[in-house]
Amino acid sequence: MNSSLTLPSETAAPTTRRILLIAGAAVIAATYLYLVLVQPAEIAGGAGTPAGLITLLGFLGGGALLVAGILPGLNTQAVVLMPVGIALNISFGQLAGTLGLPIYLDALGTVLIGVLAGPAAGAATGVLSNAIWGLFNPFALPFAAGSAAIGLLAGLAARWGMFRRLYLVPVAGLLTGVVGGLLAAPVAAFMFGAAGTMGTNAIVAAFRAMGDTLLVAATKQGLTSDTIDKLIIFTVVALIVYALPRRTWNAFTFVRRHRVLLGASSGDAGSRDESAAERK
Amino acid sequence: MRFRRRILNPLTELTIAGLLVVLVLVIDDWRFSLGVLLLLVLPAAATSGRAGRIAVAFGVLAGPMLLFLLLLHGLFYPEGERVLFDLGPAAVTAEGLLFALEMGSRVAAFTGLLLTAALSLEVSELLDTLTHRGWNRKLVYVLGSALGLAPLVADRASQITRAQQARGLVVTRSPLSKLRALVVVGRPLIAGLLTDAADRSRTLDARGFAGTGPRTSYRADTDTAAQRMLRWGMLAAVVVFTSWWYFGRHT
Repeated sequence: MNSSLTLPSETAAPTTRRILLIAGAAVIAATYLYLVLVQPAEIAGGAGTPAGLITLLGFLGGGALLVAGILPGLNTQAVVLMPVGIALNISFGQLAGTLGLPIYLDALGTVLIGVLAGPAAGAATGVLSNAIWGLFNPFALPFAAGSAAIGLLAGLAARWGMFRRLYLVPVAGLLTGVVGGLLAAPVAAFMFGAAGTMGTNAIVAAFRAMGDTLLVAATKQGLTSDTIDKLIIFTVVALIVYALPRRTWNAFTFVRRHRVLLGASSGDAGSRDESAAERK
Repeated sequence: MRFRRRILNPLTELTIAGLLVVLVLVIDDWRFSLGVLLLLVLPAAATSGRAGRIAVAFGVLAGPMLLFLLLLHGLFYPEGERVLFDLGPAAVTAEGLLFALEMGSRVAAFTGLLLTAALSLEVSELLDTLTHRGWNRKLVYVLGSALGLAPLVADRASQITRAQQARGLVVTRSPLSKLRALVVVGRPLIAGLLTDAADRSRTLDARGFAGTGPRTSYRADTDTAAQRMLRWGMLAAVVVFTSWWYFGRHT
């Protein structure tokens, strides 16, 4: 919905964007495969291997390529939503701390943007959120690829109608959490020695005491914590979105085009809400 | 106003911090990491004029991490062979302690470098530099808007929490009650933010945000040609050093 009447819409070459997207996804996948397949014994071998460097550059660089491919194609509506999602990630992350919840909740904004503006906007929000949060909390920086996956999967789940059937929402959250946990584990293990919060440390320590390698222990911890976290985030986002006035979410092109939510007017239903939104 | 060093452009300072992080990861030796922390980060933070903020942020973020690293690897390191103390399922091993030292110094250098660069820079100056250097306009907008919105959203969230508490919201220890509080606070917060965003989207579109023409910035460019050269030069030097370190050193 690039609807400026006086200016030509932005025309970044779609092939360049596609190449950037494929390159970004390939870099992230290659980084993950390298870390998991080639370096399983690295952590015990000690220093002198490039695992930490490859983790940081691969996940952050892959995320940057994704953003470079996604941003030129987003309309103003989606671009304006992204900072809102990022600010929500940060403040809900802090709110989880003050409420004393044992989960992170720091992907709530990313999931919300994925549901309202689509998988591409969700993925870009995830990457940029971690990059910006990284200014105040450098530990967030290398987890950018995991956040991109969470935004992407939230958007895809919305597109495939999983938010229309409320019982499917926790399932989508669970599956997203599995992917997020798998992508986060090598970062935790190779960049930070799997140190995290009190709770996650206890879990890692338990698996280590059973003799697991650090990567395996971190993966098992990630799968435990992230699945619960994302399940709750998806449920909370669905509850909040359905509690909003219909007019608010019907203003989003993605929600209408793919009938993401129950009661969303489909693309050509000429309701009053829609014509108001189209006029923007 | 306390003394504040202003020698380099924010983009240059961030580049230096980022490249030093890369070097710390490449060399991966606790002596180098500690050296960077004590000889570079400490003086830079002390002269930044925001030493207090940097110290608090560093303590809050890196402190627990360092403690957890010591506990986790000091006690549970099944690969360790030289056992110093045997405590049943846990064992203090020399290898575990060395690993904790290596990881800890690396984590400390990583946190110190990035926090010092980020907390001592002027965000508006950074955004101006990015605009003048021709970075994607949407990216600069998202960056600036998110940094401006984050404290605002946190503020509004706490206002809504207080308002809901005045209306009878009681958060008990049960997770279900906490989850309910989250929805009760989140709904008005997100509804307000989405309405604001829709307004902003219309305003930006009316002012040609989606257009492709060249833009004029009203603020002077504080970046210099020398610093631009310095940034590219440093990047090239780190790339050359890294390839030598991994591929050329042993031949």
